[in-house]
Amino acid sequence: MDWWIWVVIGLAVLAAVASSVVAVQARRRSGDVIAGGTRPRGGRKGRQT
Amino acid sequence: MSTYLRAREIREEPVVTLAGEDIAQVKDIVFDPMRGTLTCFTLSGRGLLAGPLKRALLWKKVHALGPDAVMVRDGKALEEDDQAARESIDAPGGGHVIGARMMTEDGTVLGTITDVIIETGKAPQVIGYEVVSTAQTGRTLFLPVIKPSSVSEEMVVVPACTADFSAGDVVGLPAAAEGLRRRLEQET
Repeated sequence: MDWWIWVVIGLAVLAAVASSVVAVQARRRSGDVIAGGTRPRGGRKGRQT
Repeated sequence: MSTYLRAREIREEPVVTLAGEDIAQVKDIVFDPMRGTLTCFTLSGRGLLAGPLKRALLWKKVHALGPDAVMVRDGKALEEDDQAARESIDAPGGGHVIGARMMTEDGTVLGTITDVIIETGKAPQVIGYEVVSTAQTGRTLFLPVIKPSSVSEEMVVVPACTADFSAGDVVGLPAAAEGLRRRLEQET
């Protein structure tokens, strides 16, 4: 194979790795809204009032 | 003066010191579901490749919560670890409320929660939820939340009269919350 084909393949692999790293980091950074729980007291379960 | 922010507007806000240093970014917003008060934030690092930080920011260490940044006095405001946040998140009950269903005590599903509305001020608190209505297919409603019966990952159960106090936008939510508060006071 010609040398430039290896260059193209190498660049494609690098781009795929870089984009997946950025996507994983973006997912890890995106947050949520969390209703905090409570430790069970006296065997009572859940958050009933 | 109170302003009303959607939780999605606070998520990913920078955490900035009064000296102007950008030290972190908000990841999760943790609140007490029964009182509605904000408990703490979990954090991410700043920068494209930064991941979650293993440090929490407790609400009592926040100087101000604004529409564009969470202000803290200095870097010492961040906890050395995220144990305080983990204790609240990992404890039984509660859970991620975005995507949970909102149901009344008489068994009517009001819709699916798509965002949480927070009243800012000295003691910011969750005053209601943005809900995609089940009855009015796909319509977005704003429902006040006072004294929920229970909050879990799957469902937020609220008093039956909550359905009578919906608002069409965030601006109408405080009036709806006041109406619901009065109704609940009358009923008790």
